[in-house]
Amino acid sequence: MNTLKRLATRTRAEGLIVLLVAAGYLWEAHNVPEFYQIPGVPGPTTFPRLLGVVFALAGLWLLVSPQELIASMKGVAAPRAADPAERGLGVSRIAANWHFCAMWAVILGYLWVMPDLGFPLATFLLLGLFVFLLGETRWHVVLGLALAATVIIYVSFKMGLNVRLPLGVLEPWFK
Amino acid sequence: MFEHLLNGFAVALLPTNLMIALVGCLVGTLIGVLPGLGPTATLAMLIPLVFSMPPATAMILLTSVYYGSMYGGSTTSILVNIPGESASVITTIDGHKMAMQGRAGPALAIAAIGSFIAGTFSVLMLTFVGAPIATYSLHFGPAEFFSLMAFGLCTVASLTGTNVAKSIITTCLGLMIATVGIDLVSGAARFTFGNPFLQDGVDFVVVAIGMFALTEVIVTAREVRDGVRAEIVKAEKVWIQWKEFLYSLPSIIRGTVFGFLVGMLPGAGATLSTFIAYNLEKRICRHPERLGTGDIRGVANPESANNSASGASLVPLLTLGLPGGGATAVMLGALMMLDITPGPLMFEKHGAMIWALIASMYVGNTLLLLLNWPLVNVFARVMSVPAKYLMPIVLVISTIGVWSLSYSEVDLVLTGAAGLLGYYMRRHKYPIEPLILGLILGGRMEQAYRQALIISQGSNMVFLEHPISLALLVAALLFLLLPTILKKSQDFMAARATSVDAA
Repeated sequence: MNTLKRLATRTRAEGLIVLLVAAGYLWEAHNVPEFYQIPGVPGPTTFPRLLGVVFALAGLWLLVSPQELIASMKGVAAPRAADPAERGLGVSRIAANWHFCAMWAVILGYLWVMPDLGFPLATFLLLGLFVFLLGETRWHVVLGLALAATVIIYVSFKMGLNVRLPLGVLEPWFK
Repeated sequence: MFEHLLNGFAVALLPTNLMIALVGCLVGTLIGVLPGLGPTATLAMLIPLVFSMPPATAMILLTSVYYGSMYGGSTTSILVNIPGESASVITTIDGHKMAMQGRAGPALAIAAIGSFIAGTFSVLMLTFVGAPIATYSLHFGPAEFFSLMAFGLCTVASLTGTNVAKSIITTCLGLMIATVGIDLVSGAARFTFGNPFLQDGVDFVVVAIGMFALTEVIVTAREVRDGVRAEIVKAEKVWIQWKEFLYSLPSIIRGTVFGFLVGMLPGAGATLSTFIAYNLEKRICRHPERLGTGDIRGVANPESANNSASGASLVPLLTLGLPGGGATAVMLGALMMLDITPGPLMFEKHGAMIWALIASMYVGNTLLLLLNWPLVNVFARVMSVPAKYLMPIVLVISTIGVWSLSYSEVDLVLTGAAGLLGYYMRRHKYPIEPLILGLILGGRMEQAYRQALIISQGSNMVFLEHPISLALLVAALLFLLLPTILKKSQDFMAARATSVDAA
């Protein structure tokens, strides 16, 4: 059990994931219908097969991690991540880094809902939340900055550069 | 050739192009000054903007931003001890010490002079070397081109990051993403999972913005929260004495020449060139013990090297279509979007554009010198704009950049996914540049591979039978082994590690 734990490094886990992705990629390449292939001529799957194999070999290298393996056989402990934030269990880690997780949630949420919610409203919310998460707690600065930046960016990109930015839920108001 | 160059100047000096070059230099310098926001992310954000421009104007904008950022990076290295770009890391050693000794003025002046001399030299070399290399590469067939691209990818994989296996993985991942979509030869839909939005493939701008801009916003945001702040030294008067100039001139010349030679190599780029040039300087120059204690040559040398290298990296880009790193890869992508494929025929087919670009670089170098001399304190003060206000705005503008490509919701989701993956990669030392490079070169590489196999009737030996192709593949292999050979060299390992974050 102890040996298994020592061998289960992050690098090896990544190697395993790379191998799985390579397998999926090669499987998909294999599934390209036969009639696209002309016998004797390199077809749409020739290059992907080459890539998949190289990718898998590199993944295998990480999985085996020969240097670490030799080191652990010699009884020298492999250097582990020293960052304190890396340690600890899942929940406590998220709690310690909640700002960081919230930032990611805000960014991904923005990319997800912007087309439907509309650019002005989504951007206003994003800017406000993000500036707040970065430690600005004076609410008039947060709101003022979010509003001013949204208006300036919207007007300059829409009018100046002719980018079609969706109004979304605000559309009925501005018709 | 001089006739071509004169025509180029006629285009470059058009009021619009002059204006664009000025704006590009300004933006580039600002990007260079702001830590975090790097040239690759900025270039990716600018791409949707250059669509509507004539090719020459578009390229003038992109290149002026690119070398402007190299120029600006030195300012913060000297005044704040924070390198604006990874290529200015070395400059902090002597540059900031000089500033602390009250000699910020001479340090900034020699950085500007060195950059100007090196920039002009590299453009001069591009003028003379570019066309002959392009003519030579006309002899290349598909097999040679495949091997050339493999060589380029291997050098980048070997010289960035800390683990060659990880670099190979990211390179392959980029090439694999490039295979998504309809195969142009047979019409087969590959790796689309039945999603019609994926049939056109994954746009490199989407991945580049996700991996560079989004991750930079998060990384900087983290630093802001952790409270990393620095004190800005003010430069009283940017001036240098004639004696000091003569003292550092040999270092400038050495930095320029080494920088150019190293910069031509794909993957080496500006960062590695500064490490190598500074290291050589320590061995060659008189009184090497003074370097590292606030010696002016310690600023002159790496600053010349990085500017010379960034000019040199345009040689393989324009003549062979081979980008050397993230920023030049994005430029290549922009060129391809403008329907221009760089390569051997570039000087023949798009000669007017290239010569305009070369001429504009002479103009740009002069503009940068004129801009930086009086404004250096203003630029340094830009650093004090709090990142907590700036980063969210960068985020919004990046999103608009992706959205304006094809108004597709799938692109936005892919950007988010690329951002998450990119962040993980940055945290765990997987270099991002090889992925972008693979993604951009993937299509042409596959085409060359298939053409070569058609000619050889399916035999893979074709890549070993052609002498140029064989030589390139052997060189590629040697490069992959290089990190193992040079493991003991601390400078080399440090340079590679620095380039992981070279965004």
